[in-house]
Amino acid sequence: MSDLLRAPGFPEEEVRARARDGERTVFPAADSYGTTLYGAGAPVPADGLDALRVAPPLFMPGRLGELVQLGREPLFSDVDLDTDIGGFRSPVPVFVCAFGSTRVANDGLAAAASRQAARLGLPMLVGENIAPVHGYRDEAELAGTLIKRIRLYLDEVPDGMGGVVVQQSTEDADAEVWNHLYSDPTVEPLLKTGRLGFELKVGQGAKPGLGGMTLVDRADGSRLAEQFRLSTLNGVADDDRNASLVRSSSPGTFTADILRHQIRLMRNNYPRCRTWVKLFPGRDVAEAVAVAHAAGADAVTVDGAEGGTGWAPTSFLHHVGLPLGECLVRLSDTPACLLASGRMWEGARAAKAIALGARAVGLGRAALLAVDEDADQGLLRLVRCLALELQMLTSAVGKYRVGLLSPDDLWRPDVPT
Amino acid sequence: MLTLGNHQKSDPAIAGPPAPGDHLADPRTRAALRLQHHLLIAGREYLTEAGFVELLPPVIGPVTDPGVRGAKQVDVDYYGHRFKLATSGILYKQASLTAFDRIFNVAANVRLEPPEVCSTARHLVEFRQLDVELANAGREEAMHVAEGLVKHMVRRILDQHSALLDELGRDQEPLRLLVDLPFPVLPHPVAVTALHRRNYPQNPEAEIEWPAEVLLSREYDLPFFVTDYPRGSRGFYDRADEENPNVLLNFDLLAPEGFGEISSGSEREYEYAKVVTRLRETGENPAKYAWYLDMVRSGIPASAGFGIGVERLTRWIAGLEATWQATAFPKLPGVVAP
Repeated sequence: MSDLLRAPGFPEEEVRARARDGERTVFPAADSYGTTLYGAGAPVPADGLDALRVAPPLFMPGRLGELVQLGREPLFSDVDLDTDIGGFRSPVPVFVCAFGSTRVANDGLAAAASRQAARLGLPMLVGENIAPVHGYRDEAELAGTLIKRIRLYLDEVPDGMGGVVVQQSTEDADAEVWNHLYSDPTVEPLLKTGRLGFELKVGQGAKPGLGGMTLVDRADGSRLAEQFRLSTLNGVADDDRNASLVRSSSPGTFTADILRHQIRLMRNNYPRCRTWVKLFPGRDVAEAVAVAHAAGADAVTVDGAEGGTGWAPTSFLHHVGLPLGECLVRLSDTPACLLASGRMWEGARAAKAIALGARAVGLGRAALLAVDEDADQGLLRLVRCLALELQMLTSAVGKYRVGLLSPDDLWRPDVPT
Repeated sequence: MLTLGNHQKSDPAIAGPPAPGDHLADPRTRAALRLQHHLLIAGREYLTEAGFVELLPPVIGPVTDPGVRGAKQVDVDYYGHRFKLATSGILYKQASLTAFDRIFNVAANVRLEPPEVCSTARHLVEFRQLDVELANAGREEAMHVAEGLVKHMVRRILDQHSALLDELGRDQEPLRLLVDLPFPVLPHPVAVTALHRRNYPQNPEAEIEWPAEVLLSREYDLPFFVTDYPRGSRGFYDRADEENPNVLLNFDLLAPEGFGEISSGSEREYEYAKVVTRLRETGENPAKYAWYLDMVRSGIPASAGFGIGVERLTRWIAGLEATWQATAFPKLPGVVAP
């Protein structure tokens, strides 16, 4: 565990406990078994999605169907979690989100996440600004560069599972991240097996409507000055050599036409790659998902306002963007392969998002915290906990494929989302 | 007759170039390069006669054609600024029309194409284009010039240099056929339907794929135009049809006999707001195009133009198995060569 990484407002301790102790944390402490009475009240829900309850029926024709097929009573362990996530096969409906160029994603955490995501066979995103900020091919082989992350992933990923999706946003286009990568021999094993994707980043949950923002030191600042807007904050003297600068990138301008044609161009230019799109939780999210889907995107990620590993103005963290649950409700009819991210870390929230129409959920902060807790096993343990919970919750509503979860399986209390 | 797409191991299209000394000493290389020399002389003559000025373009600039189909650009450290080697001269071609109404040039372009296109027998990392641009002209006029130019160059070879074709073992009948007949025109949706009829899964919203071009090209005895590519399949500068904004007023010229595309052209976007919007559609950040956008904002002429790939043209007329055979120092995608 590093001294650096903190996630206030996020169930950090719970995630760390899972990363440390694994599946036994899915249940109350074993030493309390037989001596403690449980069930008196759930924690206060963090948002509308958490406030939903999974509501099993008493009569379960789906379970009967499974019983007939198996020739025995089905168990939760019979639930199939295998999922096609935007063209990539994953053993669980989970992918690892991009961590961006923020400082917390460096220091080896992203590299550890790459290795563990690969071992699990989960699709993994590599974040925007990785190339222009950290350098495309890092001669010193420092963890955190694009190619290094992909190599680490390739070293461990099982055949036929997972995939790597590389983001590019408006400012990244200057560094031609996708063009560089598409010709790089390192990614050929991914291309050859259909496991490379590119994600057009329209925005992120933490800063809807704003571009990327990170703090950089003055040395990096002078290198980045041509590409990004850099500013000091009030109260910092201009000659303070140790002070940090705010590096802001443009959010990029989108209209329905611009989004549609950018996606078409991606499909045209990179026919061997999957095409993903990441949206911030805008009020017209349903229209944007429809445009992306019609233009041929293989997956559309909606990053709820609870999402984002990044550094953002507090006004945005607290007051801007639709919550994930509201986005999913607005998207209930979409035929798109919808992916959801935002405050994901355990099975119940994942099950609810899937029941509301998401194909899979993304782990961002939770993945970083898990690998911070245990660089070798943390993410593996966290995902195994989530998978176990998903199996139990899915079987509880009488279903044996996680993708069959539906809004009927949820009960919405009378609280605002 | 060539059997493209059905190569044996000894086929140069698969084997790739020999060492530079061996390549240059090969009589076929010499015949092909001599043919190219005469093609360029004929092309220059034709265009000069038609009132075009040969205006030599820059090699490096702060931006270049953002390109399509995944080719990456070559960065140049220009006194601490990141400049680019030209992937095409399009930005300078449009800007040059503020000096002359009709311009052309023969320019080297560099595109680090994905290694996968090495097998198309048609892609070079470093290649030359005979670039042409006409102010105040539409697509039809540009197509007319392209057709006239190609016919003139072929006619010149047939009339004065047919010995070179003999030396190369080139069947001259297909070339004789084209000089007097109009080139057919095939709109993109028609081409897509034709490919679907042949069970080729061509995406109707994308560029015609390389194998599909070969397939189409094999069915024609004459060069033919494919027009009306869908928006989102080409560069931002190809003008969108105002009546049907999802269609671009552009064209490719494909050689017959399986040789495929030898030229791309279009009517151009030239109005500032449209250029900026189309730039965004290609994912580009307009800020880096400042010099070009400043010129567009202060007014550049409406125009149309095209570029003919010199090596591809030579390959077709010479009947060579691969485009690299039509250049002295070939550089293939993904292959490091001098």
